[in-house]
Amino acid sequence: MAHRDIPVLETRRLLLRGPAAEDYPNFKATFTSYRARFMGGPLTPYESWMLYAAEIGHWQIRGYGMWMIHDKQTDETYGMAGGWKPAMWPEAEIAWVIWPDKAGKGYALEATHAVRRYLYRERGWTTAVSYIDPKNLDSIRLAERLGAVKDHDAASIDGNDAVYRHPSPAQLDGSQLAHGIEMEIGHYTDPLFKPKGWAID
Amino acid sequence: MTGFTLPIPVIETERLVLRGPRESDFEAHAELMASERSKFIGGPQDKPIAWRGFTGSIGHWVLRGYGMWLVTDKADDRPLGRIGFINSYGWDEPELGWHLYAAAEGKGVAYEATLAARRYGAERLGLDGVISYIDPANARSLALATRLGARFEREGEVMGHPCHVYRHPTLAEAG
Repeated sequence: MAHRDIPVLETRRLLLRGPAAEDYPNFKATFTSYRARFMGGPLTPYESWMLYAAEIGHWQIRGYGMWMIHDKQTDETYGMAGGWKPAMWPEAEIAWVIWPDKAGKGYALEATHAVRRYLYRERGWTTAVSYIDPKNLDSIRLAERLGAVKDHDAASIDGNDAVYRHPSPAQLDGSQLAHGIEMEIGHYTDPLFKPKGWAID
Repeated sequence: MTGFTLPIPVIETERLVLRGPRESDFEAHAELMASERSKFIGGPQDKPIAWRGFTGSIGHWVLRGYGMWLVTDKADDRPLGRIGFINSYGWDEPELGWHLYAAAEGKGVAYEATLAARRYGAERLGLDGVISYIDPANARSLALATRLGARFEREGEVMGHPCHVYRHPTLAEAG
């Protein structure tokens, strides 16, 4: 039984599809590892299995959820990105995770930029946050590259996380920020390409 | 825009409808899992863990091709409990499991729903003659398993908890 109704999103290098049973081993490897320390882990094998099942169930309950990030050419998985709102979350967040050995290639930026655009344009989201462990510097850096800023007034999940507020659809549409994100993704896609204004030495 | 609907089958019995879980069912589920009544089914649990179990039981259908139904009152769609097939990580084989929310106890709901789910599993899901894990101290579940014709098979363990494995009759045996 496949979750056939989850839309497929395509970016320059990636295909984003609903989580499937055959992708589970990669998810488990990350979520039972130290990499998951900022996401409630490391999890036991049972907790990891239940969380993966919950990621799928989230689609049914909320109508949106987390996509599995695939390489467009090889189909291998790199991580997950999407919309996430368990019970107890003050508002819907945009979330991401990249398998540890796939980090540093801009996949999270490319995938998250695409899911944010989809949630804004196709699902009618008018705002979004990301709840991030203050010690998770890589994720904070990514939130900032996406134009999110720390929202000191917004409610956090349990007081142990920082709330980053994403730019609204209007702030993003056709903006210099959006162009900058596209340019950074372009740089990852083709390392020979240097955005205008970058130092060349 | 509509949501993303999983093909969880709907079963109707005389008084009940077994269907996929919805968000509106969650509070009843969280209340059960927070209470002492959940001590034989992995509880008590806090709300985030109960949410994971609630949404996870939907994903279970995708990962395994079968799972648990939300049992509702046919008259008003009230959530009464969850019944169906569980084969999460750590299970030996698919289990027929059941738990009712407090207000639904003592009315034969579990028997009616479990019988229907067991029949559906045998006829449509290739799950015939399945097991149920039962803590010997769980007298109510033991009584239901016995009423359903399940027999003690062996001592077992699930999630690190010792329990008894009961085997249900196959469709042919149950008649």
